[in-house]
Amino acid sequence: MAASEQPAEPSSSIPDYEFMNLCSTPFHIGSFRDEWLKRLKPENVSFQPGDQDSFEARFAAAMGVGEETMTELRSVCSVDSLLCHSGDQEPDPEVVPPNATLQTLTHREKQNNKPQKRTKNRHDLYVDELDRLTAGRLPETEANRLPEGELILTINIYFPSTVEKHNLHCGFCFVFTLWATILPNFPQFNHLRAHTTMLMTGSHTLADLRDAVCCVSDLQVCGEFSSTPDMAPDFMSKDLFKSAYFFFEGVFYNDMRYPECQDISSTTIDWAKSHNYPQFSTAKMEDTRFLDLKVKVGYPYLYCHQGDCEHLVIITDVRLAHRSDCLDTDLYPLLTHKNRLVTQKCSVCHVFIGRWYTTRDQFAPSDPCLFCDKCFRMLHYDKEGNKLGDFLAYPYVDRGAFN
Amino acid sequence: MESYRKPVKSDCEALLSRFQQTQSVRFEVFSNIWKEMKFVHIFRQSHNKRAFCRLVLDVAYCYFMPPFSFQIRVGGLYLLYSFYHCQTTSPPEQIRVALKDWEDVRNFEKESLDAQHLDVAYILQQLMTCKAFLFTAMPTLLHYSRKRTEEKPELCDEFMERPCRPQELINTQLSEEMSNIHELYKNTKASISSQMSTAAAASVSLIRGGIVLELCSAVMEFYNWQQNRDTVDEAQPSQERISSQQECSNRATLLAAIKSKAYEEPSEAVKSRRHRQVEIDLPAEEDKSFLKLRHSRVTKPSLKNRTKEQIHMSGDLGREAARTTLINHLVTLEPALQEKIKSERRFKSLNEHLESQTKSTSH
Repeated sequence: MAASEQPAEPSSSIPDYEFMNLCSTPFHIGSFRDEWLKRLKPENVSFQPGDQDSFEARFAAAMGVGEETMTELRSVCSVDSLLCHSGDQEPDPEVVPPNATLQTLTHREKQNNKPQKRTKNRHDLYVDELDRLTAGRLPETEANRLPEGELILTINIYFPSTVEKHNLHCGFCFVFTLWATILPNFPQFNHLRAHTTMLMTGSHTLADLRDAVCCVSDLQVCGEFSSTPDMAPDFMSKDLFKSAYFFFEGVFYNDMRYPECQDISSTTIDWAKSHNYPQFSTAKMEDTRFLDLKVKVGYPYLYCHQGDCEHLVIITDVRLAHRSDCLDTDLYPLLTHKNRLVTQKCSVCHVFIGRWYTTRDQFAPSDPCLFCDKCFRMLHYDKEGNKLGDFLAYPYVDRGAFN
Repeated sequence: MESYRKPVKSDCEALLSRFQQTQSVRFEVFSNIWKEMKFVHIFRQSHNKRAFCRLVLDVAYCYFMPPFSFQIRVGGLYLLYSFYHCQTTSPPEQIRVALKDWEDVRNFEKESLDAQHLDVAYILQQLMTCKAFLFTAMPTLLHYSRKRTEEKPELCDEFMERPCRPQELINTQLSEEMSNIHELYKNTKASISSQMSTAAAASVSLIRGGIVLELCSAVMEFYNWQQNRDTVDEAQPSQERISSQQECSNRATLLAAIKSKAYEEPSEAVKSRRHRQVEIDLPAEEDKSFLKLRHSRVTKPSLKNRTKEQIHMSGDLGREAARTTLINHLVTLEPALQEKIKSERRFKSLNEHLESQTKSTSH
């Protein structure tokens, strides 16, 4: 008979590391939240900061200490005892002090003396501050206020992978393969950077996440439009191919909101059945909230749309809401980080982003060639809108269209 | 930002080892060491403030958790408190507490309350009150980054709590119960054997007679050995210790060098010596360098750097080659032509100016 108790059954709603510092074990998000709320008192979860005086009064009462001890305790544990200088004498925080003994400071000096790799442009200066715009933001109406004890998930969505597309004789794929050849340094799966980082609440559905993901392939227009340049915006892929799915832990969550949506995961499921993979199941994206999911934190999952545009999705963090978060539910899904992509500019004006892509063009300096809308029309069409000369024109969506 | 992890960790360990030597858990003592080391300057001149504060809080958090000893955990709590309040970001970066660690935090609070450590309890509860904690699933953000890091997270040996599992297992309650059961067994056996023939009684002996006493004495021995080991470690002259270990590690490095020549591959530190890396500097560096060699990628200089080194172009061409290509240069005019047009324009505007002046005067 051992003196220590038998350890309780490892609960599947308490996540732990599956692989150290890599990803966690799968857990049910809703029950994870319940576990936390079981362990915490309501005042711990509330957004109101605690009152210092009432806290001290309660502490004194609980510990049975007198006023003198409390004052002593307060002065000993105050933050002022940690500062080297008094408030008004604080030296410039931007300068590293001389004779620094901390290794961090010596390391920092070394880093600062290294030559800067590249100059920061306007976008980079502000991209780190995106979350400052919304931190602690209060809603207009009480109905939009984030409830206490709500979960917040941080989700990273990555760039779509490059796959060498086989050459089909169709305008859509043509644009894709040429896209890959003009821009050879398209990031491969090996060096992934998150494209966007989003914050979502537990009560959002997967369909909300799908709507929040912005991918340029949604804006692609297939087809050759040299004779009818004005009709181009009517054929966006976003409106034509509405099916999409998320894949989490062996379940495909399909988007079935519109009548045009098909279950595009069925091909994968059938293939898996014939190749002795474990059985996958399906569910509806719009009916599944994040609270109902069972996922691993830090493990890559899949979002597939447009048939073959695949994005990695990683849930990097699941936590209870805090008062320094944005408290306005209208602003969720909240974008906290977006990577900037270099955009290709028009080859004529070098000012606007390229919108048209021409080949076999007698007016263009190169084959193929990018034009912005204005330059394209000025060069290729006359005042009445008649096509001049011989060329093929495709609407082009730059990778950095969402900057 | 990851490059700051090691220096921050070593700074924290320096502070905590000094705190450990004081044998105290008072916040006053901690804040004196903090002020002496001027730790608040760790936040100076940091460019990416938020990421740095996150890193610093994550590093300090691991010292607040088991398997470290109580004093180190108190030091970890004080570190968290100090970092949280001295950080320069606004709104402040929170302290992340994972669900799996909450039990440990609760036990820690209970221990400190039982021992009447008022300042520990005050600080912990104050952090709770001012909403410094963020209740999360995992202690850090996880991105599935499979970077090849050669060091596994090494926990400082000296901060670890001395294992006390034998004492936990064989405590007084257990030994009392065991001795009761033992008595019962002996009595039952005696009563049965008196009924049966005498020969059988002596042959049936499944357990040792004095098992309870033996267990207790074994535990006491273990405890005394642990205590002695700690005191002996400090008492022994450090030179002797270092030299014997240096010998061992020298031998190890010699063996390693021979092996590497044989297999053309740098070898690892000997397993038995690896845990001593924290205490001695010299062999540790050598061992670590072996580890580094094995895991780091061989990086060739990039094409740009190779071209820069090998090809040298002079004059305008060289200057232009050194700059990045500007896409609008593909369609700009030749410099000579551009100058000509510019000068023409200048004259033209001057002419226009003169003309307009004459026109205005004529009107």
